[in-house]
Amino acid sequence: MHIPDGLISPQTYLPAAALALPLWAYAARRLRGRLGDELLPRLAVFTALAFLLSTLMLPLPGGTSGHAVGVGLLALLFGPWLAFLAYSLVLLLQAVVVGAGGITSLPVNALAIGLLGAWLTVGLYAALRRFGDTVAVPVAVWLAVMASALVLALVLGLQPSIAQGPDGTPRFFPFGPAITVPALLVPHVFIGVGEAVLTLLVFRHAQRRRWVGVRT
Amino acid sequence: MRDRVALAAWLAAVLAVTLVHAPAVLAGALVLVLVVSGGGRGALMLRALRLVLPVLLLVSVGYLAMAWWSGAVAWPYLLLVNLRVLLLALLTTWMVRDVRLERALAGSPSALRWLAIVRSQVHVFRRLAAEYRAAVQSRSTVPPTLGQRYRAGAALGLAVLDKAVYNSEALTQGMRSRGALDD
Repeated sequence: MHIPDGLISPQTYLPAAALALPLWAYAARRLRGRLGDELLPRLAVFTALAFLLSTLMLPLPGGTSGHAVGVGLLALLFGPWLAFLAYSLVLLLQAVVVGAGGITSLPVNALAIGLLGAWLTVGLYAALRRFGDTVAVPVAVWLAVMASALVLALVLGLQPSIAQGPDGTPRFFPFGPAITVPALLVPHVFIGVGEAVLTLLVFRHAQRRRWVGVRT
Repeated sequence: MRDRVALAAWLAAVLAVTLVHAPAVLAGALVLVLVVSGGGRGALMLRALRLVLPVLLLVSVGYLAMAWWSGAVAWPYLLLVNLRVLLLALLTTWMVRDVRLERALAGSPSALRWLAIVRSQVHVFRRLAAEYRAAVQSRSTVPPTLGQRYRAGAALGLAVLDKAVYNSEALTQGMRSRGALDD
């Protein structure tokens, strides 16, 4: 669901970068010194998994497809700050290794998917945990996916109002929220279900293998 | 040093392109990048096009329909957004082709270390997934249904995950024993 370069205005990505930079620095400081022999290999594997999940397409009803994100899984296993940092690395790798996504849209994508998605997953999971993991994990992940999609839809939908020429012609993304919100939310209803099931499956496996509990 | 400068130049160029709103300047820059990028420019352009074509088609067709519906003129915006997105994609594919990230990040051992480990894991995942996919296909003469694909994918995915964690732990211990994690 992340946004490519050229559709987000500097009026949007520069403030987003100003907000993301100190948050990345804070998350990196929390991580420093804790990258032991236990955390480092697991973090590397799950960051790679998130990278691959975002390149694998899930078949959707109607012949379309979408990709999972993996940030909820990272958040449940390693905590929200580390998930934010790891997912930002995924976005960076996608931009500079694969050429997908974008470097100017990276702060917006990182904040909407990485930070919001991770914190919402962890917060909702904590609130719903009394119903058991079978309910708490999928519901938390699904709601986090939908919230991230909504924020990205709003950011995209605001572009025609934020950046336009003297004659009112848009300079970046041209469609308003009336189009972007349903266009992003409807497919993510299905993508969120796939992501929720996948996260529950891997989270349970991680619990069986005792990989959970290295959060920072 | 050359790779670090090239990486910084790419970043500056990408930021600059988002500040330009004149289609003629963007078209000139597109031609300039194609000329300067050297041999294999056709493949570079095709790769950039493949990356952004779905998004450009979606935005362009949608905007064209919207403009037609409201009676507005669509081409100035379509020219601007298509040229900008294509130029940005071309700059990025050029950077991906010609810049060695390992050399560009040589000044930051921790970034380099994480990049190396994640890249190696992505490589391991891709290889294992390809092997398992080939194994599943070799056991069946008819294509699997969507349900079978998901069930097989889940079982095999978890097995791949176990193997990847095991490989990564071995890799980390190997790096530790050689002093790569001591700084």
